[in-house]
Amino acid sequence: MATLLQQIVNGLIFGGLIAMVALGYTMVYGIIQLINFAHGEIFMTGAFGGLAVYTWLLPAEAQKIWYVALPAMMVGGAIVSLVVALLMERLAYRPLRNAPRLAPLITALGVSVFLQELTRIVYPGANSAVPFPNVFSAAPVHIGSITIPSSGLLMLVVSVVLSVVLQTYVNRSRMGRAMRATAQDPDTSRLMGINPDRVIVLTFGIGAVLAGIGGVLYGTYINNVDPYIGFQNGLFAFAAAVLGGIGSIRGAVIGAFVIGLIKNIADIYLPGGTAYDYVWIFILLIAVLVFRPQGLFGEVERVRA
Amino acid sequence: MKTAMARPLSAIGSVVLIIGALLPWATFVLNDGPYPDKATLEFFDAPFGLSSFRLYLEILGLAGIVFTFVPVRDKIRVLKSIGWGAAGISVVNLLFIAGDGGGLGAITAADGVPAFGSIVAVVGSAVLLFGAYQLPPEPLTVIDSKLPWWAEWLILLAAFVALLFLITETLTAGGHSGVSDPYIGPLFLSYLSAVGALLGVLHAFGVTEWISDMSERHRVFSIVVLVLCAVAVPFTSVGNDYWMTITANIGVYAATAIGLNIVVGLAGLLDLGYVAFMGIGAFVAANLSGAVAAEFHIQLPFIVAAIASGIVAGVFGAVVGSPTLRVRGDYLAIVTLAFGEIFVRVSQNNIGGLTGGSNAIPNIPDLSLFGAQFNDAPTIGGLQLPGGVLYYFLIVLLVALVMFVFGNLKNSRIGRAWIAIREDEDVARAMGVKTGKLKILAFMTGATLAGLAGAVFAHKLATASYDSFQFNQSVTLLAAVILGGMGTIPGAVLGAALLFVLPEELRQFKDYRLLFFGLALVVIMRFRPQGLIADRHRRAELADEDTTGESLDDTAIKEPVAVAAKEAGA
Repeated sequence: MATLLQQIVNGLIFGGLIAMVALGYTMVYGIIQLINFAHGEIFMTGAFGGLAVYTWLLPAEAQKIWYVALPAMMVGGAIVSLVVALLMERLAYRPLRNAPRLAPLITALGVSVFLQELTRIVYPGANSAVPFPNVFSAAPVHIGSITIPSSGLLMLVVSVVLSVVLQTYVNRSRMGRAMRATAQDPDTSRLMGINPDRVIVLTFGIGAVLAGIGGVLYGTYINNVDPYIGFQNGLFAFAAAVLGGIGSIRGAVIGAFVIGLIKNIADIYLPGGTAYDYVWIFILLIAVLVFRPQGLFGEVERVRA
Repeated sequence: MKTAMARPLSAIGSVVLIIGALLPWATFVLNDGPYPDKATLEFFDAPFGLSSFRLYLEILGLAGIVFTFVPVRDKIRVLKSIGWGAAGISVVNLLFIAGDGGGLGAITAADGVPAFGSIVAVVGSAVLLFGAYQLPPEPLTVIDSKLPWWAEWLILLAAFVALLFLITETLTAGGHSGVSDPYIGPLFLSYLSAVGALLGVLHAFGVTEWISDMSERHRVFSIVVLVLCAVAVPFTSVGNDYWMTITANIGVYAATAIGLNIVVGLAGLLDLGYVAFMGIGAFVAANLSGAVAAEFHIQLPFIVAAIASGIVAGVFGAVVGSPTLRVRGDYLAIVTLAFGEIFVRVSQNNIGGLTGGSNAIPNIPDLSLFGAQFNDAPTIGGLQLPGGVLYYFLIVLLVALVMFVFGNLKNSRIGRAWIAIREDEDVARAMGVKTGKLKILAFMTGATLAGLAGAVFAHKLATASYDSFQFNQSVTLLAAVILGGMGTIPGAVLGAALLFVLPEELRQFKDYRLLFFGLALVVIMRFRPQGLIADRHRRAELADEDTTGESLDDTAIKEPVAVAAKEAGA
């Protein structure tokens, strides 16, 4: 029982991480129907950006004070992710806005490989895993027999808070309304005076900031990063977005927690253990795509070319 | 006004280019490694030389002057090809000398030695290009003269022999048999740029189209000659163990790429886990080969094992393809990606003892035929052939088979139905095409071909390891198909050849290979989504050109396409 509870806690923490990445997938897909394969790499550049801030910008005394170091790293990671994502949108995706649907998908793959390799080559020592400082090293929380690592708890809290803020922003603010309108009908919303380019840039930007913060928190939780973390976690996040119904913010967050729980429970209770947890998630992903492509919270599938 | 400037500009550019080629290029003698002839980089250093990249630039410059003043059709394409070829050569060598020579000093002036050759050449090609782009665009030249059959046969024969010569020269440009020549990279890229310029000029004259039309008219003859040319490769200058291995590898990936081309190019179903089918084929063949580490200790004849590989891969293809009944487009890509990842995980964990896990299945026995081991160097009629030549022949056979399947399918009822599905699935269904069955068939055919290629691959490498079938390989294959041109056979072969030869020739940049792949995918999708060798209909669809290659009026086409795309997406 204690093991199960512990795995559930671990699953929720992992789900919190995945949620921060999944939000970017789901928002971009909602607006321009693009599976932004490179979004996982945005998360990864965020982690490296945070690490770079810690390594080269923070003075030694500030590195030890978590309430200075951590926000600085989160801001740094978010800025790096934001810049990379906006460049990507401007240079790679925008020219293909009206191209056949295969084209931007292949471009996204290319951007993904490019960013992985660029990070590996440019960042010193990134040929193998780079150690990430455990900035937030408060004592772990014990509840009964369960141990909750403090950095994990932080990740969960930040993720939930950011999701709620985002949901409120999209539902209440003027720009949020513009986003929803563009997602529903880009042509009509353009007639209503909404600039779709601005909305798209904003969407990419919000997704990137969330992913960048997620990357930094992932680093402090796992304590090492490599250029390929984006690919795997990106896949999980994408699975979460699809599971929850791509295009839906609430769906992405709930999907992420479901994925997190399945992964951690499969580690212990499903045949094959940790070696096969990925396999179970991908099987679930395929099953969802085949049997309920609109996901748990998505709209009923529309015919797409 | 614009056109008036074109001629003087391209003439000046060409002259500057020739001057640049004659000037010295490096301020000091680079000494980079033990390669005897080139250790001093003398051709970078000695001006007035007539070899290698200098020669190419001088020829291109002369051609630029000639074609500026001689009236030719489609002058813009001719001058553009020359300009881009020259720009490629100059930039590659400039970057190499600057990079390897330790900075700007190497290409400008240092220690009182001036060497502005590379900069002058870059400027020259830029001016030439600028001039060329001022010219008015012209429709693609079409030569539609028909000759008597024997004359066409002779021309085709000459064309294929020239192609064979170009290919062997390309492989050996900058050194033989993979001896570690530190200058192999720039030498090879210079050669490639020059060949690209040559082909571009021929294309502008309509010669390439003419020859390809001719080969279309004499298909059987062309196929026989092509196969003979492929068989002749071991007897040319690349006939050694090293190049036999490389060309055999290219062949395996080319066969796989053609299979992927059925799925992506013809049926328009993006498959991101395609290399898994090759892996399945490899593991089936490995398990039936009698290797010690295999799960089954039986040794089937290779032909039986290969057929079994194809069938098993085909069955998996049908299983993976079955979601296509319900899932479309992007979602399907994700299903195939997930399948590919499941395959990697499962084989990494040695499921059922079938894949050897991280130990792989080593020591797969060499193939043998009539007592001849495939890895040995056979002697035929007193002629010593390089080692591995039998694998090479086997793979030529495989590629020929796959091409045959692809070519016949493409021009059949099934192929047309696939293309209809690719263009518009709903319309195809409305026209009576059984879309579900056909999509699964596409997956199955592609997977079977990949399985066959995998079986050969396992024996050639003598190992079957999950590591050879990772996501990156799928991306590389996809890049090969897209780079070469979706839906065409020469495209897939050219793409596979480029993506698997370039890393060999550019070993010093090996670390950057995937970086370039990623960038190439982005750039191709942006500027030439139809690939290097475009399928005519595919080109019409992707690049707003009609089937003759002529660009359609932008305003006339962009808006309806945009609206149609939106409506289809909504």
